[in-house]
Amino acid sequence: MPRDHAADILDPIAKEVVNNVGVWVDKEVVPVASEFEHADEFPEPLVNGMAEMGLFAIKIPEQYGGLDLSFECYAGVCIELARGWMSLAGVLNTHVLVAWAINAYGTEEQKENYLRRMVEPEIRAALSITEPDAGSDAQAIKTQARRDGDDYLISGQKMWVTNGQRAGVYLVLTKTEMDTTPPHKGISAFLVDAGTEGFTVGRKLEKLGYKGVETTELSFENARVPALNILGGSEGSGFQHVMSALEVGRINVASRGVGVAQAAFEDSIHYAQQRTAFGKPIAQHQAQQLRLAEMATKIRAARLLTFDAARKKDAGQRTDLDAGMAKLYATEVAQEVVLEAMRIHGGVGYSNELPLERYYRDAPVMVIAEGTSDIQKLVIARNLLREYQI
Amino acid sequence: MNIVVCVKQVPDPETPASQFAVDEAAKRVIPAQGIAPVVNPYDPQATEAALRLRDAAGEGTITVISLGPDSARDAIKHALAMGADEGILLSDPSFEGIDNFQTAAILAETIKKVGIPDLILMGRAAADWDMGVVPIGVAQLLDIPCVTVAKAVEVGDGNITVERVLDDGFETVETTLPAVVSVSNEFGEPRYPQLRQIMLAAKKNVEVWDKESLGLDPASVGSDNRLLALEALYVPKVESNVEVIQGDSPEEKARNLALKLREAKLI
Ligand SMILES: Cc1cc2nc3c(=O)[nH]c(=O)nc-3n(C[C@H](O)[C@H](O)[C@H](O)COP(=O)(O)OP(=O)(O)OC[C@H]3O[C@@H](n4cnc5c(N)ncnc54)[C@H](O)[C@@H]3O)c2cc1C
Repeated sequence: MPRDHAADILDPIAKEVVNNVGVWVDKEVVPVASEFEHADEFPEPLVNGMAEMGLFAIKIPEQYGGLDLSFECYAGVCIELARGWMSLAGVLNTHVLVAWAINAYGTEEQKENYLRRMVEPEIRAALSITEPDAGSDAQAIKTQARRDGDDYLISGQKMWVTNGQRAGVYLVLTKTEMDTTPPHKGISAFLVDAGTEGFTVGRKLEKLGYKGVETTELSFENARVPALNILGGSEGSGFQHVMSALEVGRINVASRGVGVAQAAFEDSIHYAQQRTAFGKPIAQHQAQQLRLAEMATKIRAARLLTFDAARKKDAGQRTDLDAGMAKLYATEVAQEVVLEAMRIHGGVGYSNELPLERYYRDAPVMVIAEGTSDIQKLVIARNLLREYQI
Repeated sequence: MNIVVCVKQVPDPETPASQFAVDEAAKRVIPAQGIAPVVNPYDPQATEAALRLRDAAGEGTITVISLGPDSARDAIKHALAMGADEGILLSDPSFEGIDNFQTAAILAETIKKVGIPDLILMGRAAADWDMGVVPIGVAQLLDIPCVTVAKAVEVGDGNITVERVLDDGFETVETTLPAVVSVSNEFGEPRYPQLRQIMLAAKKNVEVWDKESLGLDPASVGSDNRLLALEALYVPKVESNVEVIQGDSPEEKARNLALKLREAKLI
């Protein structure tokens, strides 16, 4: 596995960007990440640093003032951020995928209104699909949007909204028709501005990991939103738009898996050369070498799958299969690698003096959010069965 | 305010000591495997100083010059990504293995060709050989003043005030422009390149000048024409012996320690 974190990136500009972000992560993030994390404190200075570098504009087209960098670049940036602290890639995720959805499906007015403000960013974006009674089965949502003149009135409860407290705009999945078959035909996504009357951000959920970045509930009680704020301008396409945007999110989460695993691996291979047991460094015991070799091989495979999915998306190809495979594999690898890293570190790995316990607590959310591993497998299988249909 | 910044690419100073090796026969450092060279850590500070001075003046051009192999382009690109305007790479097979006198001469020659700017900034030393003499050499050859190890630089009307770092404090000196100033880490943190600047820098053309385009006398460059003779290159062997000072009481132990130290001529 190359020590150069940008080694698998083909696009030279992406390489430059990722190297620079990596330097920033090593200098600014690594020394303070655990402190912010243990306090579950929003890392304002780090997020400001990300904004100053321009990370929030990374996927916004140049015509709206953005940078329009490649998904390959975005994946590399997310790997680097997560190598320092997984939550930072999470702060970026919903913003980038909502911006992508607005650009891909929004009306010209929506693009002008939101994308320009998302560059600085003057506003950050959150995505709200999940409800208390609808997660993987997103078509089962109950939040309803009823037409009222030129507006819609939205009512319902949302759960697990990452960046919920600090967002300026929320892409909210609702039902505009209740009893359609299939149900997704009645689903529409709205751009809801923070401060909209009838829309309140609820409590911040306490979590095992993924701290610093807030995850909240949202509640809508006849929140009045202009009809012009339906993503794309017309009812009934919300499900497809949001599912498609989730591919961008899956590239982000796959990258986070690679980044966290990489950090755990690097800590492990250093520690294994320092710690001695039975008269030699533990890295000289073959059992530990096998462990390190497996970790590195899996991380590399995850990395290559992730960049492959990103490059396919850059080429404008359909990527639900590839992003699904990358997300599934990279996050499961992260989960395995942090446990192996814990074994290599022994007792000290369990201490909160080292960042390893943080990686260990951060890994599980990646196999759950943005579609669980089971759901990724269903997506993959659906594609395969279509491809291999006899 | 036109400024030239000289930057150098060096082996990563963070390379683990165990991977640092020299070829004693060839008197060369063997590059560590898989560890990419980096911009000399003091140089972004020189670039930062240049950016602040240019931006305070509201006009001017920052030209970045690096002497080195083709990979030194990365050091130039880094300065461009921070916000410098132009880059020139000085690269020629005969530049390999040259000494500080030749480096200073080639840089001075380049600066004359570019046109002597208001200010020439460099890092206080390069982290590879850590000599810090090139700024002085360039100033000498251009016949202009040199101020080394700067912590702060303020430009006046045709002059500059520089706060210098000394072993035991600071001093403030003033001199005329043009001048060479070498910048120290005490200057403050250099900015991180913004993604937009990185993209612009990647598209910028870095000119490459060689021995011919600089019109250098072939007899003056090349490792055969070094004025500084490298007699030997080796990694010093550091040995440490631990000796526990004996004695029945703390007083006696202290006495024995003092005797040992005097014996070793340390006190
Ligand atoms: C920290 C965090 C942040 C989040 N951020 C956001 C956010 O910003 N926006 C948002 O909308 N949501 C967010 N989520 C919600 C997340 O996307 C859901 O938790 C996830 O999709 C799973 O839904 P669920 O929790 O309801 O689990 P369920 O859907 O109830 O799943 C429970 C189990 O059943 C399995 N299962 C479900 N359906 C099937 C099936 N068909 N076949 C086989 N197994 C199945 C699942 O794989 C899982 O193992 C976040 C969640 C967390 C934990």
